Amino acid sequence: MSLEIEIKFSLNGRQTRLKVSPTMTTLAMLREKLDLTGGKLACGEGECGACTVLVDGHTINSCLMFAVDCDGRELQTIEGLATDAGLEIVQQAFVDHGAIQCGYCMPGMIMQARYLLDHNPDKGRKMTRDDIARGLEGNVCRCSGYTKVVDAVAAVVLEESPS
Amino acid sequence: MNIENYEVPVSIVEAVQSLQHGDATILAGGTDLTPQTTSGAKEFLRTLINIQHIEEMRGISVDDGRYRIGGLTTVTDILESALLAAEVPVLVDAADHFASSQIRNAASLAGNICNASPAGDMIIPLLLLDAEVELAGWIDGTLSMRSIALIDFFTGPGKTAMQGNELLTSIVFAAPVEGFRAEFLKSGPRPALEISMVSMGVAAVQKEGVLSNVRVAIGAVAPTPIRARATEAVLEGQLLDESLVDEAAAAAGREVSPIDDVRASAWYRSHLTGVYIRRLLNVVGN
Amino acid sequence: MSAAMEKSLAKKTVIGTRVPKPDAPDKATGRTRYINDMVLPRMLVGKILHTDRVHAKIISIDTRAAKALPGVHAVLTGDDIPELRFGPTRDNFPLKSKKVRCIRDEVAAVAAESEEIADQAIALIKVEYKDLKPVFSASEALSKGAPVVHEDHPDNRSLYYEFSHGDIAAAEAASDIVVEHEFEVPYVTHCCMGPSCVLADFDTTGKLTIYSQTQYPYNYKMDLAPALGIHPGDIRVIQPPVGGAFGSKLDVYPFEPICALLAKATRRPVKLTFSREEEFINSPTRQPVEFRIRSGVNKDGSLTFRSVDALLNNGAYTSWGPTTPVIQMRTFTGHFRVPAVEYKGLAAYTNNVYAGSFRGYGNVQATFVTASVMDMLAEEVGMDPIAFRLKNAQKSGEVTPQGSILDDCRLGDCIEIAAGKTDFLSKHAANIKNRDVPGTRKYGIGIATSIHNAGGAKIHKSDGCGTILKLDDYARATLITGASEIGQGIDAVLSQIVMEELGIPFADITIVNNDSALGPWDVGVHASRTTFIAGNSALRAARAARKQVLDAAAKQSNVTAEQLDLREGHVVQADNGVAIIKLDRLLRQMHFGEDHELVMVTDYYEPNSEPEDRNHVGNLSASWAHGAYVAEVEVDTGTGEVKVLKITAVQDVGRVINRLGIEGQMEGGISVSLGYALSEQLQMEDGKVLNPSFRDYKVPTAPETPEIELHFVESDCKEGPMGAKGIAELPAIIPAPAIANAVYNAIGVRFFAPPLTPEKVARALHQASFQ
Repeated sequence: MSLEIEIKFSLNGRQTRLKVSPTMTTLAMLREKLDLTGGKLACGEGECGACTVLVDGHTINSCLMFAVDCDGRELQTIEGLATDAGLEIVQQAFVDHGAIQCGYCMPGMIMQARYLLDHNPDKGRKMTRDDIARGLEGNVCRCSGYTKVVDAVAAVVLEESPS
Repeated sequence: MNIENYEVPVSIVEAVQSLQHGDATILAGGTDLTPQTTSGAKEFLRTLINIQHIEEMRGISVDDGRYRIGGLTTVTDILESALLAAEVPVLVDAADHFASSQIRNAASLAGNICNASPAGDMIIPLLLLDAEVELAGWIDGTLSMRSIALIDFFTGPGKTAMQGNELLTSIVFAAPVEGFRAEFLKSGPRPALEISMVSMGVAAVQKEGVLSNVRVAIGAVAPTPIRARATEAVLEGQLLDESLVDEAAAAAGREVSPIDDVRASAWYRSHLTGVYIRRLLNVVGN
Repeated sequence: MSAAMEKSLAKKTVIGTRVPKPDAPDKATGRTRYINDMVLPRMLVGKILHTDRVHAKIISIDTRAAKALPGVHAVLTGDDIPELRFGPTRDNFPLKSKKVRCIRDEVAAVAAESEEIADQAIALIKVEYKDLKPVFSASEALSKGAPVVHEDHPDNRSLYYEFSHGDIAAAEAASDIVVEHEFEVPYVTHCCMGPSCVLADFDTTGKLTIYSQTQYPYNYKMDLAPALGIHPGDIRVIQPPVGGAFGSKLDVYPFEPICALLAKATRRPVKLTFSREEEFINSPTRQPVEFRIRSGVNKDGSLTFRSVDALLNNGAYTSWGPTTPVIQMRTFTGHFRVPAVEYKGLAAYTNNVYAGSFRGYGNVQATFVTASVMDMLAEEVGMDPIAFRLKNAQKSGEVTPQGSILDDCRLGDCIEIAAGKTDFLSKHAANIKNRDVPGTRKYGIGIATSIHNAGGAKIHKSDGCGTILKLDDYARATLITGASEIGQGIDAVLSQIVMEELGIPFADITIVNNDSALGPWDVGVHASRTTFIAGNSALRAARAARKQVLDAAAKQSNVTAEQLDLREGHVVQADNGVAIIKLDRLLRQMHFGEDHELVMVTDYYEPNSEPEDRNHVGNLSASWAHGAYVAEVEVDTGTGEVKVLKITAVQDVGRVINRLGIEGQMEGGISVSLGYALSEQLQMEDGKVLNPSFRDYKVPTAPETPEIELHFVESDCKEGPMGAKGIAELPAIIPAPAIANAVYNAIGVRFFAPPLTPEKVARALHQASFQ
């Protein structure tokens, strides 16, 4: 009988409780146990960022995080970003700026972009295109060539701090 | 092997007690452990100990001229530390060239050290700082701490001097002396998300062109990260001029023992060693 | 008809505007369900045992332990199924039973209740091999006594292409300067972010529904059927959204029939997904080629002849890679005016992995060579790279030796604009002077050009696309097209065409193109053809629907159909925009009135291109397009690192339809070419892939991405829909040699084999310093 651990955590604002194997990754838990298939398994070793989710306000590669480690934490996935009112501002910017082609990497890319906008390490200064590109270094996209991705994030930078 | 126990200690004492039963895998950020176990490169042992909840292993502090970084401190914590940025910027610089934002957010400093990769990015600046690691063990029913110089911690690729029942709790180093300048370089072309073909740090105090307290650390050119002692000796107490730079580059070339692998040839690693030492000396010596 | 409405609606065009893709919102929220996300009731997990040998006789396969594992529903080997051959030359098998020929080979497969059980079962299969002597290089494979890869091809020769025009020997004898160069282009792979995945499900009567990532659903049925031994008509292809394709899904690969065979054996749906490692090792590459090219030029700068020998490493089986000479030779023989041309391309079987098609289809390789050679020849004759190219650029009306009709040739325009926008000549000269200045930062600028089919490519008997367009009682349009959406944005382009013709809003249009049972035939998403071919078919269908609607409106009023227009959901008077009737109201009147007329039209568009004759002559595409790209680089002469600072792309696109989409296609293509130029290479050693991960196979990331400036030459193609041409391959073709030429400009070192990795550049500089 293989070991299962009960964990409790907040998932997109809702308390969640379930049992997971100690070797299960957070990504597998989200996809297979919670039907949250927005985050993708594209490499499984933290090299592409397609599985990016927010844990306690910080993005991580959910393919590298064990599900047991979610216990007591706060998770936000791409499914928790949009509201009833519509797309979140970053999502809308990605749509409007044509950043999305096949879209497979986009849930991860958008979560990382959201994090970047909230955690501009140099808070006194507006992010430049180079800052944005650096912040998205861990997210591989094979369709867009990144230009429109950076366009979209740069537009949100302006929109969220217009001065 | 199937994991039979899962433990979540909340203190170093609890963790070390758990470790005494042997056969345990330590889980910190998971950024190395997950790919290593899924690829089969590493097997889980009977007990999985998740140390993420040991709050006393987090944080960056300075006390009486000694810095202490808790083992669970993430690379992002280091990158965003105002204290380190002001006093030990080389650590922040290395953190900025570490993997990706997502990995920095999860990876712990102790994990990067215990993984003992010859190319471990955070190790190089710590070697420049003559850092030590603190290991917690359990002797005669009580917690026992020992310190070991970081340079002596590595015994081979993926191998360390840490015993199976020990825990790396923190990294400590003395505040750099007045005028100490330390710089770090890592192979590209990507700014961070690369496994270094070569990484190098050079540190020294430069006064009227003469170098002292010289330290040279190099990654990915030997089975472990190295301190290039002979190169340091060439530079120590000498006036830094073109011929000394040549001499240092030649010495560094003799000290490295790189291999050919899928990322780079031994030739290129040697070549980069020469390029980097010249560039770093140019910065540190000015 | 009621009295004229008050409203006056101005004519507004959507052509050339920026239209977000209709699939983007669901993709941005994670709602989109790729096959990788799908689960069907009773679905099993399929898994393949790939060989660990490169050339070996299979002595035995012991599946007993795997079959006995609880949760395992089927274990298949080649012995369990008839010897079914498939592939373009029928040299591949779903499961290999007699021998394995490369590391990609499939020897057994399981279907189990979970991924974990499937993995365990795979580990329990024991295969006994007798290793055979392998051969890895194409030239060794062709030498006498080389190991034989396929017994029915004892000389290891796979495909051969030859074309010749003019008297090469005479041209060579008369040339002022003759040079010969050798190039070698590497194995690279698509790196689709969504790993390969397929879901197969048989119904009770033996008909197969296959959820596939394919980018050519109709011919896919034809190609899949022989691997399964069933009738193509018994296959229904469903195409959920796909996580990238780029040509990798233009053929059937063994995992697809294997999955179907598992579904057949278990009578349950089976899904098979590749890991990233499998994706690197077991999915197609771009065709690697070794070239020898002899070129001649006269002192006045005119090209005299070009003779090319291409040796293609076929690998163990034949997919589309070894057929890429079809397009490759058009560039060698037809790019710039060359009086005498010759191309020979031979593919040799080896024990390496095998290549499929990959964005650019042979032209990536040809353009790297021709654009590099053009720069070298310019230097030989003492001309600058711009003047030399302009001197040899064709003019409108010229026909290439292979019969590509350049009726409206904008090559010269593209070169002039690219040079002008980048201040090319002054930078080029300054960079050469800067080579000798002390310092490790060197700057370079380089140009490259190419030609590509921009109106499809008639490599099959038909290059057409069908459309069904209907308008419902609420003036909502449904356009059912044969053309697949693989992320490239054809849904937006077709929607714009419908909007333009029928005057209805974007949100009122539904594009259906994911079910082979519904869609009319299309040859597939490839050859930069979809906007052109599917666009033309959609345009013709939309015009037919428009005519039907306006005829009905005219019938009710005192004007002719020609005096009417459709704008913003209304029928209006064309001259003053005054609305006559709302479109939905008119449609209901047509439908429920006396005529009982439903607006439902079909169209099948076949371009006026020609298949090649047996001498490879024919106007293969309904349109051709040129591009000129300039790269500006910074080279660190210490580390050898090349940083691309800027790409300026100038391309004849015919007409911009969706500006957002065309920019995205160009930028994305440039990124793929950037990887080809600098970092990407599947490292093969003794038939094995040494770097099957994103860690060691380096695709470009955001911080490596240069500034990109795009200039569209809008030539208004006569045959194209709204004047548009196909555009999406040239951006993946031209940048790499522009970068190599820029590196040469910076440091004076020429590279004949991409990628220009830091190590390769540093080594070349190191060697040059000793000369």
